[in-house]
Amino acid sequence: MTTTPVAQFSELKREQLNRYLHDRIQVPEELQANVMVTTLDKIYNWSRKSSMWPLLFGLACCAIEMIATAASRYDLARFGMEVMRPSPRQSDLMIVSGTVTKKMVPAIVRIYNQMAEPRYVLSMGACATGGGPFKEGYTVVSGIDKYIPVDVYVPGCPPTPEALLYGLIKLHEKVERQSITTVPWYRKGASEAVPVPVLGPDIFDPRKVQVIKEYTLGAAAATRGAAAATGRLQPQPIPEDVKARIRAAQAKYRAMKKQPA
Amino acid sequence: MLDVAPRVRKYEILPSLQPPGIPAVAPLPTGESEDTRRIAERFGEAVLAAGLHHGQQVVYIKPEQLVALAEFAKTDPHLRYETLIDVSAVDRSELPVSDHRFHTVYQLRSYSRKQHLMIVCPLEDGDEPTAPSLTGVYSGANWPEREVWDLMGIRFAGHPDPRRILMPENWPNHPLQKQVPLGGEEVPFTLTWEDPEFESLGKQILEAKSAPPKLPPGMSLENMIINLGPHHPSTHGVLRLVVELDGETVVNVDADLGYLHSGFEKTGENKRYKDFVYYTDRMDYLTAMSNNLGYCLAVEKLLGVEIPPRAQVLRVIMAELQRIASHLFWLSTHVLDVSGTGMSLLMYATRERERILDLFEMVCGARLTVGYMRIGGVSRDIPPAFLPHLEEFLKIMPEQIDDYERMLTHGPLWSERLIGIGKITREEALDMGLTGPMLRGSGVDWDLRRDAPYSGYENYDFKVPVANEGDCYARYLVRMEEMRQSLRIIRQAVDNLPDGPYRAEDRKITPPPRAELDISMEALIHHFKLMTEGFHVPPGMAYQGIESSKGELGFFIYSDGSARPYRLHVRGPSFNNLYAISKMSKGHMLSDVITNIGSIDIVLGEVDR
Repeated sequence: MTTTPVAQFSELKREQLNRYLHDRIQVPEELQANVMVTTLDKIYNWSRKSSMWPLLFGLACCAIEMIATAASRYDLARFGMEVMRPSPRQSDLMIVSGTVTKKMVPAIVRIYNQMAEPRYVLSMGACATGGGPFKEGYTVVSGIDKYIPVDVYVPGCPPTPEALLYGLIKLHEKVERQSITTVPWYRKGASEAVPVPVLGPDIFDPRKVQVIKEYTLGAAAATRGAAAATGRLQPQPIPEDVKARIRAAQAKYRAMKKQPA
Repeated sequence: MLDVAPRVRKYEILPSLQPPGIPAVAPLPTGESEDTRRIAERFGEAVLAAGLHHGQQVVYIKPEQLVALAEFAKTDPHLRYETLIDVSAVDRSELPVSDHRFHTVYQLRSYSRKQHLMIVCPLEDGDEPTAPSLTGVYSGANWPEREVWDLMGIRFAGHPDPRRILMPENWPNHPLQKQVPLGGEEVPFTLTWEDPEFESLGKQILEAKSAPPKLPPGMSLENMIINLGPHHPSTHGVLRLVVELDGETVVNVDADLGYLHSGFEKTGENKRYKDFVYYTDRMDYLTAMSNNLGYCLAVEKLLGVEIPPRAQVLRVIMAELQRIASHLFWLSTHVLDVSGTGMSLLMYATRERERILDLFEMVCGARLTVGYMRIGGVSRDIPPAFLPHLEEFLKIMPEQIDDYERMLTHGPLWSERLIGIGKITREEALDMGLTGPMLRGSGVDWDLRRDAPYSGYENYDFKVPVANEGDCYARYLVRMEEMRQSLRIIRQAVDNLPDGPYRAEDRKITPPPRAELDISMEALIHHFKLMTEGFHVPPGMAYQGIESSKGELGFFIYSDGSARPYRLHVRGPSFNNLYAISKMSKGHMLSDVITNIGSIDIVLGEVDR
């Protein structure tokens, strides 16, 4: 039994290592106190979550609280997030902070498409999450999640910096649970861009995603020379089973209409 | 674009429950004042009515004589209305009148005579209601008139730039017209596959067309066109500027607004009076308390309700604290944009701002969107811990302001970037209808708190800082001194804080205390009526301006006697001040555009309505 603290520490370390080391990994004696064995996912996610750079992107009142979160009292630097990048190419996280209007949605979707993967979206406040107090109005869309995928929602009008920090910690937890083998951004081929919405008097119905995809990609294929040439952006036909579902729903609806109330 | 009719959601009270006299038209002005008599003598038949209404001078004029009246009011040595403060319009199609569907309403201000004049111009009915444009007399009418065209659909004959300003070019309607519904949420689960709406839904989502760039008028492709925003770190929100550059010199700037158009005017017309207080927080979210105050004062003007002295003083304390908080935020972001000492000053200024937000949190539970004031007073009394904390804040704050000044005022970098940049002369400032520090930085000695006092500001002793240079540095000095004067006002207010009720005792307007509900049936009835129906405001119209941290914040309310405002218009200081960006930036470098944006101190929530 060794007695000095350094020796004790080495002993402990070796015990830990032995649990993971197979016979084939020969760790030299002098390195055994310095080597730690872990999974690739863990070290990869740890480094990603510890330096997650938010997009410097403010919309409305929530942006003020976002700035307050980054400033002296709440100090976002504790989470390695103080580097707010104005360029979407350099940022990992988009904090949608404020009221999203129909005029702004195309810009937001375009910025989201420009962000490099892996990318995350945090919907901050009532407006970005569900339209907020102006939802009844004629210009505000009821939630950014109709247009781009959202990872974490933070409620509040506006959320306090504490609430935002809690949301960010939740996002970190989500990042820690991901695995390189299953995440979508290491699959083969490029991921599809989110269709950029065009202003209209109404907002789109998420159940129509398939139709929208067909319509928008068809339009893209028709107009863009390069995209049309590669054939990647050809219109996707509606699958037969979906068509059958639609037909069944229509028949059901017709039958329901005929029945007396 | 497919025309999908939005589903209408009726917020109306059932017609049978409405008192028979509602809706009613605002009464014509009665009596006369010196100014209205003078105008009536000069224009004779063209003046339809003139006199006083809720203490305001109002003149109804025929549209043919509107421009002549504006010119007369501006140039006549006895009138001298130098500035057009605001343009708005009322759609009277839901009022019991058959002719003159649209009225345009103008607010004129004389700084030298401390007078305010409201001009109402009934327009001729027709397919395209048209009013004469006042841009020839006051160039500041440019953007407000574009806003009226955009939201109300009134053409302005002779307007130099008749484009939409907030809504996109292809928007199908003019949303503030009364026949246009509020909007309506989509209700996906009531739709079935057979609904005709379902066929057209989703087809509005199209690929963004790569149309040839559409240049704002007055710009040419000979020069370089730069697109600044709506996502840009130093436009203070979602402002978009199209900048025409010759080399690095700015030739022309055109602002594209509306990326944060939340439509609160239309929303406000569908809310009860007391419910709109919370929406005012979200207009200019850095000065929520001042917005509350302005709105409450405008409604109280129509109601004619007395505010108890304690509530008045509490309102003053909160409004001045908010002014300091807003200026601190302006300072920190402005320095961040302009100067190398940026990040540290952001940290320092935010530290002090957090103290103010703590005080707000103490009185109302919220930091930013406070909703503290109520029509008839404030929502609750201050807690016992408030005053000691405020005292501590008052003790440390003057030193901190000195500290900021030591970092900036004589700093070579700071003065290099600010002195001589964004110059506005006194005449230009008056012509463009600028207010607040933008006006005082150009040498106009005007402060609504001193010259048209409200909320008991006449009882306080404070100075109005004025600088004559008219550049960004002058505005910086004005704002720094304003913070010190605000501290003086708060000091006096705390020393003279009277005891008594914190809201009016009128049970028709303010709800009874909770304890009273248990013992009094009458209190219960009052409470029920207030919480369900709200209170009715007598028919009339009122304009109330207050000195917000960014300038004159005005509320124009047209009441038809019901529990909801018939027309609610907000005169935002940032909106009117931002009009100056083009004039300020021409001939300077591109980087000075950023300095000018910071110096105007815009908040997009208010600019974009």
